Amino acid sequence: MSGCSAKHPAAAPAYLSGLEPPATGQRVEMEGVEYKIAAPRGIDPASIFFVQVDKDKCQGCGECESHCPTGAIQEMYPDGQRGVVDPAACVNCGQCLANCPYGAIHEEVSYVGEIFEKLRDPDTIVVSMPAPAVRYGLGECFGMPTGTYVGGKMHAALRRLGFGLVWDNEWTADVTIMEEGTELLERVKHGEKPLPQFTSCCPGWVKFAETFYPDLNAHLSTCKSPIGMLGPLAKTYGAEQSGISGKKLYTVSIMPCVAKKFEGLRPEMDASGYRDIDATINTRELAWMIKQAGIDFASLPEEDPDPALGMSTGAATIFGTSGGVMEAALRLAYEVLSGNTLADPDIKVVRTHEGIRTADIPVPNFGTVKVAVVSGLKNAAKLCDEVRAGKSPYHFIEVMTCPGGCVNGGGQPLEPDMRQSSIFRSTIAKINRRFTQRRVG
Amino acid sequence: MKKIGTMTRRGFIKVAGVTCGYAVFGFNVTRKACAAAMEFVGIRQQSVYAADRKVYAIRKSQDNPMIKKLYAKDGFLHEGPCGHESHHLLHTHYHDRSADLKALRDKGVQLTL
Repeated sequence: MSGCSAKHPAAAPAYLSGLEPPATGQRVEMEGVEYKIAAPRGIDPASIFFVQVDKDKCQGCGECESHCPTGAIQEMYPDGQRGVVDPAACVNCGQCLANCPYGAIHEEVSYVGEIFEKLRDPDTIVVSMPAPAVRYGLGECFGMPTGTYVGGKMHAALRRLGFGLVWDNEWTADVTIMEEGTELLERVKHGEKPLPQFTSCCPGWVKFAETFYPDLNAHLSTCKSPIGMLGPLAKTYGAEQSGISGKKLYTVSIMPCVAKKFEGLRPEMDASGYRDIDATINTRELAWMIKQAGIDFASLPEEDPDPALGMSTGAATIFGTSGGVMEAALRLAYEVLSGNTLADPDIKVVRTHEGIRTADIPVPNFGTVKVAVVSGLKNAAKLCDEVRAGKSPYHFIEVMTCPGGCVNGGGQPLEPDMRQSSIFRSTIAKINRRFTQRRVG
Repeated sequence: MKKIGTMTRRGFIKVAGVTCGYAVFGFNVTRKACAAAMEFVGIRQQSVYAADRKVYAIRKSQDNPMIKKLYAKDGFLHEGPCGHESHHLLHTHYHDRSADLKALRDKGVQLTL
């Protein structure tokens, strides 16, 4: 399969002729979550909400609050209903939405209508850019067991949807390692920029750092996230490789995330001379699009992405889990610092399920690389306070907002069992609350 | 019969027993529910590491032929990682958003952090 020519069919796929794309302002339920159809462009994403509570559906149980890292979601109405108080306080992680037992929280931005229009437009080549974690959740929307790897079927589905270039964000995860790993080595060797270096792949974390710890901005890696890199590379290097002008390319970021919609809209994301990222959707929206197109996902063959901006490694795919970016970076840093080949690429000591993990990695010809891995921003705040106090012993800290990493992102398919178990917990919470209120009142 | 407060000894034991029973039951069910919720994340994480081992032929970014091509001497990013073109396209700067936060707090909005 060559990466150099767009394999978009001469005519748009047949399903598109019979399809009525949802109109702006319409509300559509996709995989159990309600979305408002809206395709913002040229606005400051810090001024809009990405998730919000439906007051009429909210039961006031408070489950969302226990998942919110900042307290942005809080009681706003007399009967105890919650709401997101202000965009400035929200990091757009979507954990409130994923954990609401009543489905009372919806997404405010969905580009699916515009994407169907672009897929139909003969003058536009639509480019796919799926994140690593999408392929570990997408299958669940089609009845497959939790966590089933569906990378090959996902590429096949994207081609059948009419994406002219199936590029893959895993390729730029590899680019990120080259850039971010090199940056770390420069910090360690030359000391012009401060240590520890924080990862900058997670848009919830980056907005959190900019809001609550702006004095630590110099500690954040200057590297854009993998999708922040694939957008501009697609419209420059990718245009060169495919022979299609960057002007004709419409780049679609497909993420396990809600906060990536914010990142795609950052005003500075125009290094290619165009908007680097034209649209951002998440795993649930992709599943919905595949179903709208009538594609039988389970029976699709396994296909590779277009290699030039698609071929990837194991180091790239582990970006989707807490500890993965760290492990991938260490697979590079070890070899560069020691000058030796890393015989066994498994660095299990940094694999993290929940909370904070720290490790000392012995590297021959260098010494010890001290690292920390954290998921959940309340945990991250502890590490930030250490850095602020000048007491952080680490070289490199990986932060992900969602517990466990992107595989548990706010844009991933909801776990049905979890919703049921949460109803139990919320019921208890609700009874307790009523009881307390009565006593106080 | 000995009384504890206004309750009979038997009555007290009954109430205490039932309370404990419900407390333990409730605690266990909640704990199980929490465990189940985290378990599906664990399953997805395990699937990622399994794919890293079994699906991907190459496991280090620097060994990816398409990465080598990008950074080759005649490649698009021929200066190597963190070169000029990299800085232009692939690196960024960060904002100080604390003023928005301060404005919110000045309005009297309470946050948990």
